[in-house]
Amino acid sequence: MARVRTGVRATGAVLAAVLAASLAGCSSTGGKRAEERAAQQAAEGRAAVNTPRWTFAMVTHSGDGDTFWDIVQKGAEQAAVKDNINFLYSHDAEGQQQAELVQTAIDKKVDGLIVSLAKPDSMKAVVAKAVKAGIPVITVNSGSAESKAFGALTHIGQDESIAGEAVGDELDERGRKKALCVLHEQGNVGHEQRCAGAKKTFGGTMQNLYVDGTNMPDVQASIEAKLDSDRSIDAVVTLGAPFAAAAVKAKQTAGSKAEIDTFDLNASVATGLQDESLGFAVDQQPYLQGYQAVDLLWLYRYNRNVLGGGLPVLTGPQVITRDDADALAEYTNRGTR
Amino acid sequence: MTAAGQPAAPHTDERLLRTSPLRKLLGRPELGSVVGAVAVLLFFAIVADSFLQASSLGTVLYAASTIGIMAAPVALLMIGGEFDLSAGVMVTSSALISSMFSYQMTANVWVGVFVSLLVTLGFGAFNGFMLTRTKLPSFIITLGTFLMLTGLNLGFTKLISGTVSTKAIGNMEGFESARKVFASHLTLGDVELKVTILWWAALVAIATWILIRTRFGNWIFAVGGEADAARAVGVPVIRTRIGLYLGVAFAAWVSGQHLLFSYDVVQSGEGVGNELIYIIAAVIGGCLITGGYGSAIGSAVGAVIFGMTSKGIVYAEWNPDWFKFFLGAMLLLATLLNAWVRKRAEATK
Amino acid sequence: MTAIQAPAPRDAAGPALVELDGVSKYYGNIKALEDVSLEVHAGEISCVLGDNGAGKSTLIKIIAGLHRHDAGTFLIEGEETTLANPRDALDRGIATVYQDLAVVPLMPVWRNFFLGSEPTKGSGPFKRLDVRRMRGTTRAELLRMGIDLRDVDQPIGTLSGGERQCVAIARAVYFGAKVLVLDEPTAALGVKQSGVVLKYVAAARDAGLGVVLITHNPHHAYLVGDRFVLLKRGAMAGSHTKDGVTLDELTRQMAGGSELDQLSHELERAPSPGRPGDRPAGGDTP
Repeated sequence: MARVRTGVRATGAVLAAVLAASLAGCSSTGGKRAEERAAQQAAEGRAAVNTPRWTFAMVTHSGDGDTFWDIVQKGAEQAAVKDNINFLYSHDAEGQQQAELVQTAIDKKVDGLIVSLAKPDSMKAVVAKAVKAGIPVITVNSGSAESKAFGALTHIGQDESIAGEAVGDELDERGRKKALCVLHEQGNVGHEQRCAGAKKTFGGTMQNLYVDGTNMPDVQASIEAKLDSDRSIDAVVTLGAPFAAAAVKAKQTAGSKAEIDTFDLNASVATGLQDESLGFAVDQQPYLQGYQAVDLLWLYRYNRNVLGGGLPVLTGPQVITRDDADALAEYTNRGTR
Repeated sequence: MTAAGQPAAPHTDERLLRTSPLRKLLGRPELGSVVGAVAVLLFFAIVADSFLQASSLGTVLYAASTIGIMAAPVALLMIGGEFDLSAGVMVTSSALISSMFSYQMTANVWVGVFVSLLVTLGFGAFNGFMLTRTKLPSFIITLGTFLMLTGLNLGFTKLISGTVSTKAIGNMEGFESARKVFASHLTLGDVELKVTILWWAALVAIATWILIRTRFGNWIFAVGGEADAARAVGVPVIRTRIGLYLGVAFAAWVSGQHLLFSYDVVQSGEGVGNELIYIIAAVIGGCLITGGYGSAIGSAVGAVIFGMTSKGIVYAEWNPDWFKFFLGAMLLLATLLNAWVRKRAEATK
Repeated sequence: MTAIQAPAPRDAAGPALVELDGVSKYYGNIKALEDVSLEVHAGEISCVLGDNGAGKSTLIKIIAGLHRHDAGTFLIEGEETTLANPRDALDRGIATVYQDLAVVPLMPVWRNFFLGSEPTKGSGPFKRLDVRRMRGTTRAELLRMGIDLRDVDQPIGTLSGGERQCVAIARAVYFGAKVLVLDEPTAALGVKQSGVVLKYVAAARDAGLGVVLITHNPHHAYLVGDRFVLLKRGAMAGSHTKDGVTLDELTRQMAGGSELDQLSHELERAPSPGRPGDRPAGGDTP
């Protein structure tokens, strides 16, 4: 009997612990971020509006622990504070799971929905359901081509093809002849468009290399193997900031002279630009994407405003070189660029 | 005959303790996990608003059904003493084959569906044959199949379709009728019930029937409990094991067709990791990892618990960064509760 | 309960149920069995005796259909055969009760009883187990053998070792075995339990079966056996009928016979100085 009692006690203790943890989770983000945001709020004032506390849900195709989407979230949360919004974020890299998350948002009857359409076919049906249920939808980051057809108000992001073309042009300006485009996410339409765009405008030859973005050591090893086997590659273009770091390490171990360039910024990319281990970066301003998505939804709910005139609202491409890097260092360190 | 004549055994044997029917009920492998399911339901009903509303029921049941369809045959396999780590990606393979075959051959979509059934069953048979021929642990064999299928999914799709995802076949003949069978839904008021729920119920019913009312089911228990003993009394161990892997493959085919006809375009990289979720659902439902004990109904309850937990966390608006932590914690709790209930039920005092 | 009395061995009026004639089995270059002969008649118990490593389990496996012999002849009812698998042996009427009992501990008694030979009703996709018949028959057959089980639904692993042996024997008898092969049935049992099992073995014999009893206990063998074959390191060390051997002789032969005499001579205590019991004057006792 004593053994059963300790079993009950143990279960009770665990239940209590989970409950406590869940209550902590319930109160949006805890810990350091709340502290920082509190500081921000104090500096920038509390909610600037007196509209009711609407609920907006953002459902993205992000994997776990993706720094890019962290920045998008920060922007969205800043706008949410300003506009008195209850901001909910969820993500899954698998199309079906992402669709299920959108369905739960519809079930919760949220007041606004923000989605990323990296795999448009998986999301088509469920976005239509949201639109039919009267929930305004804004798409962000991926899927500018499908956004309007799916019934979204507008798309905020960068046109991936145009961004790719900008990369191709920049590579030409720097006199590169043979480039490698590293795609880290299978099935991402936007990634394919970037590499295709770069190939289009690039004067030299460009190859695609597919790696598993969820396994960083594997990414590094794959790039290294490629640089080892083909010594004539003089530029490597990665499609995400963390992958630039892996590419730099791969370059060192392979003893290659290739220039590493990347899409998207983060603190280490900024440092890399400053110390010239990276050539250039193409930023799509994720903070702006998140911020605008929430803010524009608020404007729609408040005033039926729609930005873009039927066309996507572009946040990039912005080509960042060594000179710009100094100015941005402070912001990348803060985690908002 | 030397045995002394025995009087007819008394109707209630005085050596048997009177156990309440409720306790006997709680001792069954699956009904202990029902207690866990009720606990999870109550928990999220309190903690999450919109969890109990009608539309959420459809969402949770759908999430449970996509896991449950696979968890039923996986549970049978586990009772038979084996694992299948390739189950997750086999679903994707099945969807890819249907789509690519139909498109490349410009055939009626049903032809592709049928070919996919044959090939997927072939994968299952491969698992079974490798296991019985090499006598290596099923963990290793199916791990190999898992890696091979993952690579085949990507490589084959890129080779034939040119990209990592298949071409849309929504406008091909047979698509609409196939969609009705594999990916349609019924809307009752606020509740949207997807057809996978029907498939799930049917598969669980058939699996339960096989397990407890057929010879094959007796063999499954025996092979999982003590394969040498089974072999010694003439149970066809090899046939039983291969049959179990074919069962998993069949369910993978059903799930794959659902995936294809829901979204038309199939991503070749998906499915990795799901095999563990099926195993979790079976174990929560009372299947012993070592084999010889468990039930298909239990796997259904396990799938429901998983569906409720994964969606309930989102309804409850918990911090999404902690999603996986909460999911794991709740599943552990549900399993502990199940085990505790069963122990209490079996205790005599 | 009739006293256990071995009937006088009959002259083989017809062929033996099972006969092994000069059978050998090799694993690679290891001689597991060499030139072993054995006869089993209906209504008689043939005992195979030998210590560990003598080749008893190999012999059993050949009779049970798990292995094939490499030399010699294996006759079933006068016909020379080679068994393909255990299923084949069962179909021919040879039922084997293994040392580890070939039961599945987690399964209920009634499922175990019919394992491999489940009765069904219905046909086609509706073919299902005849559960009522399985439960009822299990209970009845066990009762007939003298076991009154509390609950045929209990996992067989909860039964005692002796009870499990009896269930296994009852199973073999029920399924119309003509020859019952028992692999060390009393090896792991205490005195009382062994007695119970031997009673059931005798009951099976009286029911007309031929029994092969493998054991390393000459006392148990002598209690019920009609014929005795001794194995030592894969070869036959002796073959007797009940008339032609005494228990002491059997025990001696089993224990090693002349080798044991020599050993006991070597182990005899050397004569010590002084009376026994006195402490030796200094130094250790050899």
